[in-house]
Amino acid sequence: MKKLIHIAAALAVLVASSATAATIEMNVNGLVCAFCAQGIEKKLRKLPATADVVVSLEQRLVAVALKDGQDISDADLRKALTDAGYKVIGIQRTDEPIDAVRGRLKQGKR
Amino acid sequence: MIRWSQRLVGALALATPICALAKPIAFADGTTVMAEYGAGTMKEIQIFYAPEYNYSVGGGRVELDSDETPKSLSITYARLNYLLHRWNLESAQANIFVWGGAGSATGNTFRGAEFAGNAGAQADFETRRVYASLETDWQGASDFSHRIDTLQLGLAPYQHDYNGLATWFVVQARDYTGGLHRGTEWAALLRLFKGGTWVEAGVTNDGKIQAMTMFNF
Repeated sequence: MKKLIHIAAALAVLVASSATAATIEMNVNGLVCAFCAQGIEKKLRKLPATADVVVSLEQRLVAVALKDGQDISDADLRKALTDAGYKVIGIQRTDEPIDAVRGRLKQGKR
Repeated sequence: MIRWSQRLVGALALATPICALAKPIAFADGTTVMAEYGAGTMKEIQIFYAPEYNYSVGGGRVELDSDETPKSLSITYARLNYLLHRWNLESAQANIFVWGGAGSATGNTFRGAEFAGNAGAQADFETRRVYASLETDWQGASDFSHRIDTLQLGLAPYQHDYNGLATWFVVQARDYTGGLHRGTEWAALLRLFKGGTWVEAGVTNDGKIQAMTMFNF
């Protein structure tokens, strides 16, 4: 019985941790210069759920790492990017840590 | 008098680098500080703040000195820059900016301070490898009025990424209307920027140095 409780608790933790994504990736149009990236990063870092931001001009990608247990809605993300002057064309949520995304982008992979 | 006017117009042309050499609005909630030295006749500082991505407000001061006569002119001004339209394409961006401003001009060729107005527009297209912009800029007061049209074409030898060093080779052609300057002034410029820091230097076709530094934060 005790073993069953431990397994159930472990499963609950697992489910809770996977309920929110670790990272949100956005495909963005108009990303052509460092000033674009600087403005977007500044805007996204103001959101309370943002832990980190990575911008790749090469991949036209903006990635936001979320703080534990927190989330940012698609509507809020689109608004933040629109308010920064750019156009979001796609949003994907992933469990991949932001450092892994950063490493992947450095290798030139989307 | 005509010679001094030509010098003055040339110097004023260099006095609008935020418009002529860069976008007049960097990014939302961004501050831009710029300093420029132009061809031995001009020194300028500017500061702009953009509350939103589509407009910025600020001002600056430009000091103009003739290198042939003791005549000089200073303009302190306030200006509003507005992004009329932006196209965000998959790998490119295009913009149309307009601006207007007013200030006070003083000089050693007239008494007291004179009201000065400014209006202009810029259209640009940019990818990570090519850059093109066309700008028109009008400056006027009771003692002077002219329009300066500037075309810039830029080529990047490689595609920079965020936090990397961006390098651009820029060719500039500039025309002065209003009968104050004849011919087209050409300039070759090397533009470098990384993060929010921008440095640019080059030479005009008459061998004069043009240099500018800008910080966005």
